[in-house]
Formats: sequence, structure tokens, C-alpha cells
Amino acid sequence: MSTVIEVDKLCKTYGDIKAVNNVSLTVVQGEIFGMLGPNGAGKTTTMEIVEGLRPADSGSVSVLGMDIKQRSRRIKASIGVQLQTTSLYPRLKVHEVLDLFGSFFPKALPYDELIKLVDLEDSRNKLCINLSGGQQQRLSIALALVNDPQILFLDEPTSGLDPQARHNIWDVIKLQREKGKTIFLTTHYMEEAERLCERVAIIDHGEIIATDRPDRLVSQHFNEEAIEFQLDRPPGDEVLRQLAGATNVVTENGKVTVYSGSVPATISALMEMAKQRDMKLTDLYVRRATLEDVFLKLTGRRIRD
Amino acid sequence: MKVLGKLLVADIRQFLRERAALFWTFAFPIFFILIFGAVFSGGDNITFNVGLAVEDNSPVAQQLSAVLQEVPAFKVNIGNQSAELEALKSGDRRAVIIVPAGFGESIAQGSQGNIDVYYDPTQSSSAQILLPIIRQVLEGFGQAPSLIQVKPMTLQTHEIRAIDYLVPGILAMALMQLGIFAAMPLVVERENRVLKRLGATPLRRSTMILSTVVFRLLIAMGQAALIIIVARLVFHVPMMGSWFYLAGMIILGTLTFLSMGYMISAFAKTQETAMPLLMVVQFPMMFLSGIFFPLEMMPGFMRPIIDAMPLTYLGDSFRQIMVDSSAMHSHLINAGVLGGWFVVCLIVAVRFFKWE
Repeated sequence: MSTVIEVDKLCKTYGDIKAVNNVSLTVVQGEIFGMLGPNGAGKTTTMEIVEGLRPADSGSVSVLGMDIKQRSRRIKASIGVQLQTTSLYPRLKVHEVLDLFGSFFPKALPYDELIKLVDLEDSRNKLCINLSGGQQQRLSIALALVNDPQILFLDEPTSGLDPQARHNIWDVIKLQREKGKTIFLTTHYMEEAERLCERVAIIDHGEIIATDRPDRLVSQHFNEEAIEFQLDRPPGDEVLRQLAGATNVVTENGKVTVYSGSVPATISALMEMAKQRDMKLTDLYVRRATLEDVFLKLTGRRIRD
Repeated sequence: MKVLGKLLVADIRQFLRERAALFWTFAFPIFFILIFGAVFSGGDNITFNVGLAVEDNSPVAQQLSAVLQEVPAFKVNIGNQSAELEALKSGDRRAVIIVPAGFGESIAQGSQGNIDVYYDPTQSSSAQILLPIIRQVLEGFGQAPSLIQVKPMTLQTHEIRAIDYLVPGILAMALMQLGIFAAMPLVVERENRVLKRLGATPLRRSTMILSTVVFRLLIAMGQAALIIIVARLVFHVPMMGSWFYLAGMIILGTLTFLSMGYMISAFAKTQETAMPLLMVVQFPMMFLSGIFFPLEMMPGFMRPIIDAMPLTYLGDSFRQIMVDSSAMHSHLINAGVLGGWFVVCLIVAVRFFKWE
């Protein structure tokens, strides 16, 4: 598979803040590549440099084999960009906006086809201002698809949407993946990265901490599983770490997560401890480790503060 | 070209769908005109004050004088020529009829007797109503009607009614607002990252700006037409100068204030900072550049400010063209100052405008 995006040692500083610090990554043709990180981690800045919307301080970006600094206009004709924008033209109808945007490009898909791609047939004649959040987001994806691009850039495509609307967007994105497009997206939703992306780069404070398939990232960092529960009077992480099989303990807002290589041993030890110390133990459940745990392990904090 | 057309259509569609903006753009100046017009116009009389100066003692002339005084629509004031013309200049007469010396003699000899009718051409009713009546009276008079010739003569100076003074100013003010408020959508679109989103397409920024300029010019023309029509129908405000020249000044004025608006948008990062900036620019111009009050009323120390403001020159220019008001500045100076502002604002805007 060929590389369509190649980013090498990218740096961007705003004042004292290193928004992007030595970021290197590659995206191959036909994959859904996700940049996962908390707000302010440098996802959007990195993406906008790659799209040619911002200049980098140093480092190089090549998109579809072309240097972004030299062939920016040519690249813009072959990529589709969605930004974290509210409505573009609040008082235009859906099909009017698509038609207008199409005219900016040398060749464009017919707007009715675009409307079908993002499942907006019922809203075809609605003014943009009257669209729901999910519909707005689907429209902005349709706008990114207007020139039938080879690469689709999506910046937080499901941010602020309810689960139903989020799943709709995922379906739209998967459809584009099936059509052979490469998708580069940013997200701060673990679930989105895990379920949608084939490869994920975890980014924090402008640096990429790890890049791999979501399942591999988890298995690389965790052989254990996570036991989560609530305690009314937690005895402290040091005490809990003594539990049989426990490898690590994290307590946040009264919610305890014990990572364990041997779930039955840890749980029976936990039950014993709760009985002896007369602690009220609730909401106990066991789950396999996720990207959230990987992020926590690598950065020491959760992705959403 | 195709893109420009599409952008233009999109602008117009959005504008027509934005009821509030539509209302303010077109109704606001009309409100001004109607309100001020109602305040200033002391109610038109159905009878016309007509001055009559008979410089000839012949029986024919006396007879003519008597007939004119019988006309029901006329309130005839008899006086000498210079006094009556003075009264016309100060607005106390709608027309002055002069029967010159030697009139009776000419008639008696069978040649033409000339009668001069002076009237104020800024008052369209004078021309439309008075002259036909006078003509009818004169032609129906006496035994040899064809020998009496009416020569309407325009006075060089005339009194301008308050409404005549006001309307061209309102037009200038409307264009000023239309221009500088073009800053607003630009600031909003930058804040909402719309400009950035457009920057991610191959659309050229020059095309985008050009479309907004053409769009605003179209609105300017619409506004001007509406203001002129309403002023004419309701208050009989005349249009004395050349339409061509008026259109040219509308375009130049709109471009000047558009570039000023773009300059403001270069310095305002958010809507919240743009609004006060626009007010700071707008209000002094509205009240100090002679739109509502003649400049003679302004204290002398304000003169430098007044002389610097482009609206002073646009208002003066429109007044000269539309109602033939006495010029503060020549057309060349008016156009030159506006052009100067246009160039300076444009350079500053291009230099400091940031797309994100």
C-alpha cells in the first residue's frame, strides 16, 4: 500500500507553547487514520499544517507525493477538508451550499449525489441554520466530499453529537472508506478511535506518544484487565496495590481502577479486604483494557480532564 | 467568472432571506426621510404664490395683469422686477412673471410680445403645474395669442428646502453605513472559521472579495434608487444633475466606505471589538459631516475634523448633483478626497488584514 501522507519532524510554536513538537507520521492509502488526544494536544494544528492551512516552523509535509509548501493549491484540489466550523452559510439551503462549493473546484460531484452520500435527502431544501448538529456535521462532510477527494480530512467529526448522530457519522465515514478513500481524522473520543480507526496516533502536548492499531496499542501496554469499582472509604492506592494479582491502581473521583493479571485472585482478595475493613463496595465490573487505559498509563492522566 | 456569479447569487439569496438586514438596509434611510420630511415641510399650499412685475403701462399689459390676478390657483403679488426675483430666491414665490417694458407696443405693431417667467426648478411642482397654467392663461388672452411668447428662465441660485438638503445627505449616509458595515460579515466569517474553510478550497481570495464588492455595489444602487424615488414621490425632491454622474459618485462613495470597512475588519479580531470601532467611525461622520445640519452651524474648532471626513465630500457631491446646492468643494476635490480615502484604506486593509 502506498503512502499518501508523509509528515516528518513537524514543529510549530506559538509564543512559549510548542503546539506541535517533532511530529512524524505516515498515512497509507485507503486507511482510516486517527489522531487521538485531549483538547489542546496539537491535533488540529498538525492537521491544518498538513492541509496547507498553516505554515509549519520546521519539518516537512508531503501529500499525495507533493510538497505542501510548493503545491498547496494543487493539493487542495485533491483533498477534502472539514473543519470544526459551525454553519458556513446559515441562510443558504443544503443543496445551494453544495452547489456553490462545487463551483470552487475544477470538477465537482453533483449535489444530489453528495446529499445521498451523507444521508441528507430529507433536508435537501432546508436552510443550513435549521439543521440539527448531526445534520450540520453531515453537511460539512458532504462539503469536504464535493470535489471527490482522494484524502478526506475530518477534524473532530462527531464532537458534541449524541450517540445516535455519532453512529450515523461513523456510517458515513465507513462508506467513504469502502469507496477507497483515505481518511485522516482527529478525535478525543476513545470509542471513536477504537471502533472506527485502523491506526491511531496518540498525541499529547504536541508530541506523538505511540502509533499503531488500536488493539495492538492495548496489547502492547496491557496484559492485564481492568477491575473498576467504587468505595465509600477507599483505603488508598498503596493498600489496594497489595491485592493479589494487582499491577497498578488508579483512583479518580472515588472510582478505583485496579489493573490485574489475575482477575479471580484480585477480586477475591478485594472482597476479603472489603469485608474486613467494612467498606461499602459498589459498581464492580471487569473489562479489558482500552485506549483510555493506554493513554492513562502513558501520560498519567485521562484524556478528558 | 462562473464562480463570481455563484458567489453573487449566494450573497443575494442570503441577503433576501435575512429579513432584519433587509429591513434595516432599505427601510432605515426611508424612515429618516419620511420623519425629517414630515418635520420640515410646513404643508404645501394649493394656491401658488406668484410674483408679477408689470414694467409696461400699455392697456394690453394692464389687461393681462388683471387676467392673471383672476386665476384661482394664484395668489398674485405685484411688485417691481428686482424685488419679486429676490422673493423668488428666498423661496417666497413659486414663480415670477415679468411683463417687460415695450410689451404693449410690440403687440400693437403685430410682432411678438415676450413675457418672462422665472421659476424655481428645484420645485418640480412649479414646472409641472405652474407653467402650463401660465401658458394657458397667456395663450387664451387677447386677440393675438400666438404673438405672446413664454420664456421660462431658470434662476442661477435658489433656496433649497430642508428636505432637499437632507435627502442627498441621507443617501450618502446610507452608502457610508452599507460600506463600513461590510466589515461585520468578514469579522464574523473569520471568527467562525468560514474564511479558513474557504481557504481550504482552490477559491481565490480575490474572487471572494470581488464578489462581496459587486454585491454591495448592487445594494448601493438599489438603496439609492429607492431613496431617490421616495423623496421624489413624497416630497418632490428634484434630480437636477446628471444621472450618469450621480451613479459614478454612488460607486466611488460605496467603494471608499467599503475599503474603510475592510480596514476596520483588519483591526477588529472579534465581533465585540468590531462593533464599537464601527460606531466610533460612524457617529462622528453622521453628525459632523453636514448630513443633518448645515456645516455653518458647526463650531470652528471642528472644522479640521469635518474637512477630513469622507462623508462630508460625498454628501456635498450628492447635494450638488441632485438639488444643485451651492458647492462647498468642486466636483474634482470631492472625487479626489474620496478617491484618496479609498486608496489609503485599501492599502492599510491589504497590509494588515489577516485571514485567520
